[in-house]
Amino acid sequence: MALKLTNLYKSFGSIRVLEDINIISNKKECIAIIGPNGAGKSTLFKVISGIVKQDIGNVEFNNKNINELNVEKRARLGISQSFQKNSLFLEMTVKESLMLACSHKYKTSFNLIKPLIKNNFISDDAIMIAKDIGLENYLDVQSEFLSYGLQRQLELGIAIACNPKLLLLDEPTAGMSPAETKDIITLIRKLSKDYSIIIVEHDMEVIYNLADKIYVLDRGKLIFEGSPNAVKNSKLVQKVYLGI
Amino acid sequence: MLLIQFLNALQFSMTLFLLAVGLTIIFGLMKIVNLAHGSLYMIGAYVGLSIWTYFDSFWLALIFSPLITALVGAFLYYILFRHIQNADPMKQVLLTFGLIYIGLDSVRLIWGTMSHSISAPELLSKSIILINNPYPSYRLFVIFIGILVLICLYFILEKTVIGAKVRASVDDPEAAKLLKINTDKILFYTFSFGCGLAGLAGITVAPILGVEPGMDMEVLVLTLIVVVVGGPGSLKGALVGALLIGFVDSFGKVYIPQLAQIIIYAVMALTLLFRPDGLYKR
Amino acid sequence: MRAVNYNPKLRFQIMIILILLSIIFNIFGGYFTRFFVAEIIILSIFAISLDFIASRGGMVSLGHAMFLGIGAYATAILSINYGIPPFYATFFSILIGLFIALLIGYFIVLLDGIFFIMVTLALGEMFHAWVFTSELLGGSDGITGIMRPDLSFLKIDLNTPIIFSFYTIFWLIIVYNLISRITDAPLGRNLDAIRQNSERVSAIGGYKKTYKAIAFSISAGIASLAGSLYVQLNGFISPELTHWTVSGEGLIMIIVGGIGSISGAILGASVVHIIQHELSNIINWWMLVIGFGFILVVLFMKDGLWGLIESIKKKLGY
Repeated sequence: MALKLTNLYKSFGSIRVLEDINIISNKKECIAIIGPNGAGKSTLFKVISGIVKQDIGNVEFNNKNINELNVEKRARLGISQSFQKNSLFLEMTVKESLMLACSHKYKTSFNLIKPLIKNNFISDDAIMIAKDIGLENYLDVQSEFLSYGLQRQLELGIAIACNPKLLLLDEPTAGMSPAETKDIITLIRKLSKDYSIIIVEHDMEVIYNLADKIYVLDRGKLIFEGSPNAVKNSKLVQKVYLGI
Repeated sequence: MLLIQFLNALQFSMTLFLLAVGLTIIFGLMKIVNLAHGSLYMIGAYVGLSIWTYFDSFWLALIFSPLITALVGAFLYYILFRHIQNADPMKQVLLTFGLIYIGLDSVRLIWGTMSHSISAPELLSKSIILINNPYPSYRLFVIFIGILVLICLYFILEKTVIGAKVRASVDDPEAAKLLKINTDKILFYTFSFGCGLAGLAGITVAPILGVEPGMDMEVLVLTLIVVVVGGPGSLKGALVGALLIGFVDSFGKVYIPQLAQIIIYAVMALTLLFRPDGLYKR
Repeated sequence: MRAVNYNPKLRFQIMIILILLSIIFNIFGGYFTRFFVAEIIILSIFAISLDFIASRGGMVSLGHAMFLGIGAYATAILSINYGIPPFYATFFSILIGLFIALLIGYFIVLLDGIFFIMVTLALGEMFHAWVFTSELLGGSDGITGIMRPDLSFLKIDLNTPIIFSFYTIFWLIIVYNLISRITDAPLGRNLDAIRQNSERVSAIGGYKKTYKAIAFSISAGIASLAGSLYVQLNGFISPELTHWTVSGEGLIMIIVGGIGSISGAILGASVVHIIQHELSNIINWWMLVIGFGFILVVLFMKDGLWGLIESIKKKLGY
């Protein structure tokens, strides 16, 4: 298995945000985490990526306990994330951003002499990723001047560029138009063939389209887990999540 | 002997406290590190010097020089700080850095480059015998002033409406913004008040250390260390940091004179290593 | 503040013009002009070192005169007390600066911008205070009698003012090349990325602290080189070299020149030093003028002279 969360607890002050979370994700599996606002999804993500540390419990990645590793070290192990709010290098072009992310993969980031953009193999790699995420026509555009939808795609691209084994996607379609959403679903579906993915998403259509397994989170507890169909038919989930 | 050293350290700590509390309040409220804080301290001392020279009264100087320094602060707030509140932090700090140059040369132009001294008032010029050791009563007076300010600050912050607003804005700027209590008026008064405290530190220290150009940077560096160690924006941190640095420095000079120059920096380094946000994180 | 002006082409053009100017002044100027050119070049090297960490790493240092001092004192002591030839002493000084900065950098590079300023200011003042009382370093008298490197095997006599100026220009070109290469290289781009979005660099597995510490020590090494050259130019050191005003002047130079552009640092060093020199001949309150000018630049000309040149070029339609 790729990721195993056992017995996770997390409180902020007196407020308990996560309670007894157990999640197992297998290789090349796409797992979705859903739940109403404030259910603790974002905190759970932060615990997995290492931004927030859990109070109790274990995070294991490829059978290795990574409780003590910070964000950087987890990223180097292959846990890569895309953020809910675009987190880009706004002054860099698309190509540069992707190459920068790739530079870590090739261990060239400490190079002092050879210009980044002249590293051909990194550049080839970056162009390939740009094609994957549909930005091949925008290589030399500064990130700041991309449309919101394209920025969202680049956000995903940077996460892919560091050669992840596990992709954490935090609401990849947030704020997108229906057409843009469609594009990104196609893109993620393509990715799910190569990567293990954990995705948080509001849009149920997106989830039903993508996920192999769905976990439902409510007020910090997992209340349901199962296939998309099982979730669709579950009364409990509908009551909590859809408010029916 | 130990008592004397203790009192000296306490006096030094109180001076540092007066400076650090002004700097930290301004930082807490406005998120601006005012590098010109030392310059205001110097201006306080020089204004006090002039008042003392013309009216031959230390007490007048003690009252009016903090007020005039506060007015200088108010003026600075009005022409500069008001406009840069939402600017990039780096820009703010660079601007206050520019003010240091202006402050230093203004003082040189007005008062010259000579160093001056102010003598303590008659009432406090004698020494008091404390357990067989003579101790200058003026230093006790400085300690008294520091503690008085501490009590006043406590009273203002805990018991008055404006104090509650300041406290709220320092402790939780987000909530304060929502409640709309972080008004221009509060910033204006707090900024001027912080500057006034720097001026008070300047005039109270003048009879002990003298008045000279360059006193601003010496004290600025110490104040910055206190704020870094105590935790920027924390009032409790300012007090604890001032006591810590004041005592470490005074006792270090007596017991390990070889290391006196670097010991407080070692304290700062250790704090940064183990508590990067200072002793009292906000 | 955008804080970084990244335009390799314009950078190179301005650099060429400035180098040509300095060569012309050096050839046609008198004894004093040549000395002045060398002084400006050395200050430019110092300004570049500050500019590099200020723009790339977001680390504005107000204690960089410490490394200027380390380079200067190391050169003096190695050559006088230990008889190491000044030319090699220069290299050792750079290494000493690098190493000390690596040690310090470990504690401070991850500090937030304004705290970095506060801490470097405090460290710089500590060093200044220590230099003043150290017997080894000559206390408040400083050290005199430092020789210039002996390059007679190349048939060069550095004691001639014109030759020494060219020697400093040679070093400036090396430093410029090194820094512009690092700026374009993966390490430099990663530093730039940290300034733009430090969280994301962590999230893609960057070695944030290491990058910044490397940048800090490279910058310190270059500042040490400037210190070493400075002491060779003058033949003596006074502890005033490590005063905070020296770091402050460096900061003013890079802000006036346009932060992050490398050539802007040279431009700023030249302009500020010339203004300062001319003003101090006429009035003794030049610091007041410099302070006001600095505040005006920060408020209204955020990219300094570099920004001015860039916008003029745009208007002319290049």
